[in-house]
Amino acid sequence: MTSLKRVLGLCLNSAKGAMWRGGALSVLVLLAGVGLLALSGWFIAAAATAGLAGTGLVFDVFKPSAGVRALALGRTASRYGERLLTHDATLKALVTLRLRLLQGLMAQPLRRLERARAAAALNRMIADVDALDGVTLRLFLPAVAGGLTLVVSVLGLALFVGWGLAAWVGALYGLGSLAIGWRYGPEALPAARRAERALQAVRARSNDAFAARADLTVYNAIEGQIALIGRASKALGQARKRRDSVERAAQFWATVVVQTTVAGAVLFGFLSVSNGDLSTPLATLGVLASLALSETVMPLARGISEFGRIADSARRVMDDIPENQIDRSQKLRAKPMIVPPLDLRRIRIEPLVETLSLTVEAGEMVLLAGPSGVGKTTVLNVIAGLLPANGGEVCIGGHPLHDYSEEDFRGRLGYLPQRATVMDGTLMDSLRLGSADLSETEAWEVLEAVQLTRFAQERNGLQTRLGSRGSALSGGERRRVALARLIAGRPPVILLDEPTEGLDEATATAVLSGIRKYLPKSSILISSHRFCDRALADRVITLR
Amino acid sequence: MSILDTAKQIAAPQDRPAETALVAAAFVWIGQAALIATVVARGVSGALEPKFVGGAAAALLALGLLRAGLERWASARLTDLAERHVGALRDAIIEQELTRRASAAPASLASLVSEKLEMLRPAILRYGPARKRATVVPLVLLVIAFSQSWAAGAILLVAGPLIPVFSALVGMAALQASARQLDQMSTIGALLSERVGALIDIRLLGAEATVLKDFHEAADDLRSRTMAVLRIAFLTSTALELFAALGVAMMAVYVGFSLLGQLQFGTYGAPLTVWSGVFLLLLAPEFFAPLRDLSAAWHDRAAALAVANEVVAWNEADAEHVLGGQGDLTSPHVQASISIKDLGLRVGESVIRYPDVAVDSGQALAISGGSGAGKTTLLSALAGLIPAHAGEIRVAGAPLAQNNAETWRKRLGWMPQSPHFMKASVLANVKLAAPQASAEQVDAALKSAGILEQIRRLPHGANEMLGETGAGLSGGEARRLTLARALLAGADVLLVDEPTADLDEETAAAVRQTLLDLRAQGKLLVIATHDPALMAACDLQISPMPKEAC
Repeated sequence: MTSLKRVLGLCLNSAKGAMWRGGALSVLVLLAGVGLLALSGWFIAAAATAGLAGTGLVFDVFKPSAGVRALALGRTASRYGERLLTHDATLKALVTLRLRLLQGLMAQPLRRLERARAAAALNRMIADVDALDGVTLRLFLPAVAGGLTLVVSVLGLALFVGWGLAAWVGALYGLGSLAIGWRYGPEALPAARRAERALQAVRARSNDAFAARADLTVYNAIEGQIALIGRASKALGQARKRRDSVERAAQFWATVVVQTTVAGAVLFGFLSVSNGDLSTPLATLGVLASLALSETVMPLARGISEFGRIADSARRVMDDIPENQIDRSQKLRAKPMIVPPLDLRRIRIEPLVETLSLTVEAGEMVLLAGPSGVGKTTVLNVIAGLLPANGGEVCIGGHPLHDYSEEDFRGRLGYLPQRATVMDGTLMDSLRLGSADLSETEAWEVLEAVQLTRFAQERNGLQTRLGSRGSALSGGERRRVALARLIAGRPPVILLDEPTEGLDEATATAVLSGIRKYLPKSSILISSHRFCDRALADRVITLR
Repeated sequence: MSILDTAKQIAAPQDRPAETALVAAAFVWIGQAALIATVVARGVSGALEPKFVGGAAAALLALGLLRAGLERWASARLTDLAERHVGALRDAIIEQELTRRASAAPASLASLVSEKLEMLRPAILRYGPARKRATVVPLVLLVIAFSQSWAAGAILLVAGPLIPVFSALVGMAALQASARQLDQMSTIGALLSERVGALIDIRLLGAEATVLKDFHEAADDLRSRTMAVLRIAFLTSTALELFAALGVAMMAVYVGFSLLGQLQFGTYGAPLTVWSGVFLLLLAPEFFAPLRDLSAAWHDRAAALAVANEVVAWNEADAEHVLGGQGDLTSPHVQASISIKDLGLRVGESVIRYPDVAVDSGQALAISGGSGAGKTTLLSALAGLIPAHAGEIRVAGAPLAQNNAETWRKRLGWMPQSPHFMKASVLANVKLAAPQASAEQVDAALKSAGILEQIRRLPHGANEMLGETGAGLSGGEARRLTLARALLAGADVLLVDEPTADLDEETAAAVRQTLLDLRAQGKLLVIATHDPALMAACDLQISPMPKEAC
């Protein structure tokens, strides 16, 4: 619930004006609907009464019939305005929400980032944020607009028809909706949560079955896996059934409330007519108004079942958005660089590295070798500050890691991880990630260093689009774009994990030499088991 | 006919009783409207008895409860139908898919049987009934309206059909507008996904501010383009709203003026009665309601059809099936052996032929050749996962065929090149082929595969969860884990795909040694490889012949 409130707060804050105007128009739509039916009923009954009494010719027909037309057109116009305003406000709110999510995620520890990158987690997160448009469009606005409409209509009924009927309609619709929400709302959330969990289990288990089918077939384990999927599928069915039955019950009781209210309105209104306390036209107005007000109650049931799903999504999304915006303003003063740029003092990483001391001078390139699994990547992660060391100290430019602010530190150290991801956008967009104020001339120099000049010239130059996840590039081109954006920032210390993977030997050699030429003063530490990389290194350190 | 055949069937199965009940529920309103009209008419003429009011209110409530009950019953039936339908589709797809040899995109198929199939539910629950109501209810109400007054009928007749016509026109305009929008990254979700997928890179580059700024601009730009599409799309609902509201308003004005005596046309002889007037006014909103419901459910329908088309496309895709069946041709007592003769295997539109060869227990056969030459294909055929196109494969003295492939596979160990680990613990992954194995047996297998120490070092040891691609393990470790799995299965034949590819020299040497040790223990090894050292250590070596068209 708290996360739902936070989402709502964010949404209302980010587009206040439009949201309130949209909300006001929603009330207008509902009120016009009630007014249209109520006025029509009154008009007909009054006209009939006048017609029977023979006073038809003096009856003022123009005001009511103009009112009916005005309400009909007014309702239509407000509906259009309402939909535009609320959708625009919600889209704005969701942009803000996504920005905050992105910001929150960026500040998280590496392990969570790794998890967020997995395709399944990513799809789910995106779907979760998408579901949050319902917070305003399907929960908040209908509830508030419905409530306001009810209040205004009840006051109107009290004024024109009488307090008794108004109280009856207000009490049944108001208390009835609250009771239904109170009774079924809390059940919707756990049902939605169970359904989501079961759905993820079905997805993960079928993915296992599809991806590992050869293994499963060879080991005769297909039947077992199918049974496993079946269990998740059954749990999903049960959770859905529960959710649907909650929605159905809410729907049923909402209908019962509406029908009881209307029958009661007929009873009270026309009993007064038969007593002579009320005129037929006003009683008709009361009945039709109570009928039209069902429009405020019936969305309730749908809202309740959506509520579970939306609240569940909100909980997951808000987990990743910190309560208070991260304050990056208190920058430490940039520290002067002292040589050697990279200095590892007796670092210990359990259980892989007992002790490692290593100095990389400015302009030097050192290669880390050793069998896979020995911890080369881990050492790079520790230097980059992504993992803690169990002992010893990593010094960049003469200062230990923990003395740096993150921003200052990232400017000093460039790290190319094994699985670097290229984002959609233009080649220039990508290079600007490394250095926000990169000029076009510099950009071409960077491209030349990583042997991408020809690639760019043959395409659309710096405006070449890279495609989602770099899908417009080959594996080797992607690797080089990742290298290019890294060196664009001219970091004095560079860590490269298998930098030339996917490149043929000639290109690999040219790229590494190009980088050294472009950044002649940087200290470069490489992890690689390629022979051609080894040949370019000044020194080779082998991890055991 | 299978349930997977046509998109229409997949998208919206129907339940007649439920649909009929929902139509009946809509018709309940006709009775209620008649009751209210009677009360009002008597009120106008001044002949209203309190007793009659009480009776009418009670009848009104009874009808209302009947309506609520019918709707609840029908929706319970539809929920059950949706549950059965989605469940049956899921089972059918999974079962059929797993008899196929391979899938191009396991992840997207997994999302098809999970999230996407779920999108069929709203169509079953809402679209089906809405369509039925929209075809029956307005028509019946129209007939009733004409029976009271041809002018009233004409009002509905004019306003009603304009709705679908106008919706269609606007729908086409919206389609064009959204097609224009679809040029680049089409959804805001895709924009976010792209950045979340590269979080680590952004962090390492210290490019947070740049990325946030770019995202904000791109998202805002996309938002305004989306609104341009929505502005047109919302015209549909506005048109509905307009005609529905105008229909009610025209009805009210017509009836009012008729009752005043200022309009004297539209009826059949006698002037319009008060009862008819009120009754007609009450029917008017209900005439438009089903059309509105249908248009609201249209989106559900479109989503369901898209899913259904995906299912059909999957179903119609050409697929090769694995061999199955149990026979007694390869009893465990017969020494393991493999021989191939005149073998040709089909890959897509071409055929790969292999030289004849025979291997026995305690021997290793190397299959060499460039990538894509047909090494993995041969391994799959030896496991009975694909049938021979020409020639034959004999295993343990009998031809490998439909009736004995499953029995043969019980003797096999299998080391794929890029293993996919189940989303489960290391232990569960190793015990895949031998769920009953004891802890000692597992440790022994891990030890012979040379990975026991590494597993013990993991934060949760053998209970460490593996991700979908074996997160937390290096390439060499993952390879050895599949070896441990094969050993635990008690296999006496090992089919091994590129065991040393992408490994550094030291790890590669260790893996080579493990394999050669296994040969010394009397296992039969078939190894696809382009590692010269490994090839040299094998007893026999063959290469696939160049591909030919079939």
